Amino acid sequence: KLNIGVDTIQHGVEGLVYLLTESSKLMASIPFLDFQDSIHVLGFSDELNKSLLQLYLDNRKEIRSILGELAPRLPSYHSLEWRLDVQLATRSLRQQIKTAVTMKLHLNQNEDQTAQVLQTDPATLLHLIQQLEQALGEMKMNHCRRIVRNMK
Amino acid sequence: QRFRFCGDLDCPDWVLAEISTLAKISSVKLKLICAQVLRDLLGEAIEYDKILKLTSDAKLESGDVKATIAVLGFILSSAAKHNVDSESLSSELQQLGLPKEHASGLCRSYEEKQSSLQDRLRACSLRLSQLGSVCWRVDYTLSSSELQEVNEPVVHLTFNVRDRECEKMTAVPVTVSANKFRVLLAELKQAQTLMNTLL
Repeated sequence: KLNIGVDTIQHGVEGLVYLLTESSKLMASIPFLDFQDSIHVLGFSDELNKSLLQLYLDNRKEIRSILGELAPRLPSYHSLEWRLDVQLATRSLRQQIKTAVTMKLHLNQNEDQTAQVLQTDPATLLHLIQQLEQALGEMKMNHCRRIVRNMK
Repeated sequence: QRFRFCGDLDCPDWVLAEISTLAKISSVKLKLICAQVLRDLLGEAIEYDKILKLTSDAKLESGDVKATIAVLGFILSSAAKHNVDSESLSSELQQLGLPKEHASGLCRSYEEKQSSLQDRLRACSLRLSQLGSVCWRVDYTLSSSELQEVNEPVVHLTFNVRDRECEKMTAVPVTVSANKFRVLLAELKQAQTLMNTLL
């Protein structure tokens, strides 16, 4: 429809994509006016500059959220199945009472689902819970609070 | 405030928030939606279009429809999980602000399916592997490269084990001599007697 070669259009699209992603990426260091100044250098018409600016402003939040998703990720928690068993007897020994908690930890990593099977006795489980609660408790300490406040 | 259907814990905030959405649907339609949600919990296919039709009168947005299904799923499965009877469930839901007719309709659907729901939850519980079947064959060894006259019976067993993680059946073949097999059988019978004392 535009009567231009495929290559030119591809380069044009790539150029626009680069312009928008780079501007969105560096958003914090490019306040409102600087975007205009930066593209002014390219020597387009004023009207084109205005529509580019509008395109940038309209889409930058979405572009930023998509760029945020692209960062490499560690496996993250999906779900945890558990069961509580009591071992009453084995081939070698009868009249036992041995409790065990068996868990299946489901993890997500970039659309892959993996599962890890773990088993522990109640004492270790309590210790695990205590450690995790301590970790959560760190968030309420002054040091963490100061950092969170400064980030906001 | 503690609720039995939440496992004697506080009711989650999101459940509390969705109770008002449930109240927007008529109690008759809510009971029908419950039936659909129960189908999903029991592993049958859920008919989403029917639910959309039932909620169209209440003019719910698509987010609200999904929230309704989620909260009904939670209430029904959590009540089954903690073995709550339908009367207690009804009174607890009313304490949360669900109107009486809605609560009784929901609880009637729950009561009908409570034991099937619990059976299903029991079947879905964590299990690492499961014995599918056992095949056996008794052979009589006449002779071997080591000894000319062997003349001994031998049992071939194949255990078909289903690995819960990858849903695959693995065949585990085992060959047992007659004496070893007798020991194995005796021990397993002891284990069976122990299991029977617990039933």
